[in-house]
Amino acid sequence: MAQVFQLKLITQRAGGGDPIIREREVEGLVATIGRSAGNDIVLADLSIDPQHARMRFTGPGRVSIESTSDLPFEVAGKAVLAAELNIASHPVATFGAYVLSFEPGEDEAVVVTVKRVEDEHHASPGVFSLQAKVFGRRNMAWVLGSGILLLCLAIPLIFVLFSANPRISLDKQWSTGPLSTSHAFLQNDCKSCHANAFVAVRDETCLTCHAADPKAAPKALAHAKQLGSPFAPRLIAGHAPHADLRKATPLPDGLGAKASVLVQRAFNHPTDRCASCHVEHTPTKGGDPKAPLADKPKLVVVQDCESCHSELKMRLGKTDLIDTPDWSKHPGFRPLVMTQAGPTPRFQRVALDTAPQERNGLTFPHRLHLDPVGGVARQAVGLGKAAGYGAALECASCHRRSADAKAFKPIEMERDCGDCHSLAYARVGGEFRNLPHGDLQKVVATLAGRGSQATVDAARQRPGQIRPIAFAATGAGAYRATFSPGGACYDCHTIRWEGDTVRMAPVALTARYLPRGGFDHSVPEHGGPGPSKTGGFRCADCHRAQTSDKSGDLLIPDLAKCGTCHGQTTAKIAAADDADCTTCHSFHAPGQATPKPGHPPLRTLRWTEALNRRAAGH
Amino acid sequence: MTAAGGHTERVRQRTHEGFLRHKGFRWAQIAALLCLVVVAVYFFVAARLQEPPSGGSWLGYVLGTLSAGLIVWLACLGIRKRVITSGHYSLKAWVSAHVYLGLSLTVLATLHTGFQFGWNVHTLAYVLMMLVIASGAIGIWAYATLPQRLHGNRGETTRKQMLEALESLDQQLRDLGQPLDRAGAQIVRLSVEETDLDGGFWRRMTGAYGDCANLRAMRLLKALPPAPNPRIAEVLGKIDTVMQQKADVLGLARRQMQITAALEGWLFVHIPATFALLAALTAHVVSVFAYW
Repeated sequence: MAQVFQLKLITQRAGGGDPIIREREVEGLVATIGRSAGNDIVLADLSIDPQHARMRFTGPGRVSIESTSDLPFEVAGKAVLAAELNIASHPVATFGAYVLSFEPGEDEAVVVTVKRVEDEHHASPGVFSLQAKVFGRRNMAWVLGSGILLLCLAIPLIFVLFSANPRISLDKQWSTGPLSTSHAFLQNDCKSCHANAFVAVRDETCLTCHAADPKAAPKALAHAKQLGSPFAPRLIAGHAPHADLRKATPLPDGLGAKASVLVQRAFNHPTDRCASCHVEHTPTKGGDPKAPLADKPKLVVVQDCESCHSELKMRLGKTDLIDTPDWSKHPGFRPLVMTQAGPTPRFQRVALDTAPQERNGLTFPHRLHLDPVGGVARQAVGLGKAAGYGAALECASCHRRSADAKAFKPIEMERDCGDCHSLAYARVGGEFRNLPHGDLQKVVATLAGRGSQATVDAARQRPGQIRPIAFAATGAGAYRATFSPGGACYDCHTIRWEGDTVRMAPVALTARYLPRGGFDHSVPEHGGPGPSKTGGFRCADCHRAQTSDKSGDLLIPDLAKCGTCHGQTTAKIAAADDADCTTCHSFHAPGQATPKPGHPPLRTLRWTEALNRRAAGH
Repeated sequence: MTAAGGHTERVRQRTHEGFLRHKGFRWAQIAALLCLVVVAVYFFVAARLQEPPSGGSWLGYVLGTLSAGLIVWLACLGIRKRVITSGHYSLKAWVSAHVYLGLSLTVLATLHTGFQFGWNVHTLAYVLMMLVIASGAIGIWAYATLPQRLHGNRGETTRKQMLEALESLDQQLRDLGQPLDRAGAQIVRLSVEETDLDGGFWRRMTGAYGDCANLRAMRLLKALPPAPNPRIAEVLGKIDTVMQQKADVLGLARRQMQITAALEGWLFVHIPATFALLAALTAHVVSVFAYW
């Protein structure tokens, strides 16, 4: 047999079983391959051209295949347009779905086995189900779940517990809401307040910026600045020692509230912390959620004054505070009465109804100064309107209001008494020389060093003015005259002599008789400037100065006077007002009225303005 | 006893009730009552609370504990349904309670938030919970309506028959294409080899198969130059007919897939979102107490 292609065509049965094998020989040395029926090897595959390729013998045991359609075929896994096959090595050529395997036949013949590789892929009905296609539910669930657990809990928690780097604020996602404007600078620094994980914010943390204790305050201000606060923190005094507060505070009214407090205490979340009342991360109740941030933390009043001060004595035996269950049972005033004047005056709380007398060291009869027809009045008329008088004295002639008109400046002898009570002891070249006031030793020294050039202005004869006789005398004489009846000091000061040494009783004037309550003199109904409601009070309505002959008289009114308006109805008195504890007291500063919400305005707490305010003494 | 048992069995078969109407909507009533009580308590208490209503008030803690407990219990359906029990609480009762108590969570958890939302892990947990509930609601709708539509679509044809029809049509196309030249053969190959019956999630859901290879092949077939001889022309005509038949079967099968996808698709949100929710809920609870 010569060179001839022996074809072995293998066809799989559709229903399985042994394949059908047909054998035939190709006439001639060349065989054509293609889809068209006219080819020697017909490959019924649409990816094969009608006339795809041609193969021929190129020598003994050698066959070449070349594409006649410019479409490739595969030999040894490579797409080629022509190939030289060594039949001895049993080569294989692939055309579309057909595999042509070559092997040497008998007598230089080449056996070409043509076999169709069936595509075994059949779609199963499972293709209708979604499960077959999409990223599995279970995988998605685990990836999402563990991802959130890692990103939202584990990693931030690790940083919170073990890292102190303030620049990494992964825990910011835990914030339940924005902070108030005053604390907004801490928004990314959770640990500045939440110092210990799983421990509710404690007062010590708040006090690192807000401690009012004189020792801690400078440190607190510095700490706030270091944390980046744009505001000077308000320094806050506690209401009472913490242990006392806890003992004195009863459980709130209502079963739910009681249960809430007990449960919170049990879970180490006490309700007597700063943060229990000053609530952060929360909008104003009922407010517009889009409204700008509140300036200060939301204040939640957990207990009112009465709830603790009703039976305080019962819960806190050692207290000297009198129970005040309501306004009608408010105890009478017990002002601080000075029992000893001097550089360190001593005070004692005395009930007002015992007509206490003060020892301030001064001789000052209010009646004399306010007598509308007395000598004082006449002198005031003489001083004239230009000097600020021109009529009988009134309270404001001597008592000057403070800048905010709420209180009065302390009495200063030179300013408030000096227009009448001259301290002049000599005149040099037409100018008076005044004794220094306030320091006995300086007065004595001044008098001792008096120059002889001083002459007397005999025209002026005012109370306290040094009499001509004094200037005629020698230095020792002037000294004795000044501190003797008729001398400059004698009218007001209590003086006694020990031989040649003068002794003067120390003087101190009380700045505030009722330091546990605030009283605002600027309210028009309290005699302050501006139009008052009908029934408003003037000074004399409360302070019976016109009938007081002694400086020791306590001229403050009793609580009943407050009750004239406070707690009354407008039907009874037009100036009626509420009688709320907060009108005169506040939690952190019991001696001041409770400030209005937002007071002081946040902007005034900016460092520069706060410094100015502090410099101005507010 | 036996007779009574048999009687009960017949009655049960006659009045089959799904999980939605289980025991005359018992769990729907319980859930509705729970919602009513909680809403009433909320509006009574919140107005009297000193602080703004939030998860941190005593009512907030109560609602939060209740909600978290419910979420964990609801998630346990995944475990319960894998356990075969013969006890009192049938799986149907369990699913019924799952559905209605799950829906009541929208009220409980919303009141727990005190209507305070933000970009934080707490709102993340809330959003995930709402996502789980919304997908579950879609699931209820799907189970209630889709099986009927699925049946209406396929008529008497089974899914297996649809696939077989497609394979047979493809084989016809292959055979018919044999006499064609290269260009013609390419078009037939396009239809046979490139046509995707299925598709990804969105394609299945929307049924958008505008670029289907079979359709493209039909368009190309029409754009072919006139057949060189009547025999080819006849072949081309037959191919066009077969391709049209294939398009019809494809449409039927794909609608079937679309409805099936809708029937199953909600679970692809419901289950992963549930796991995400459990994680976010843990983060929510732990972080709240970490920064108490």
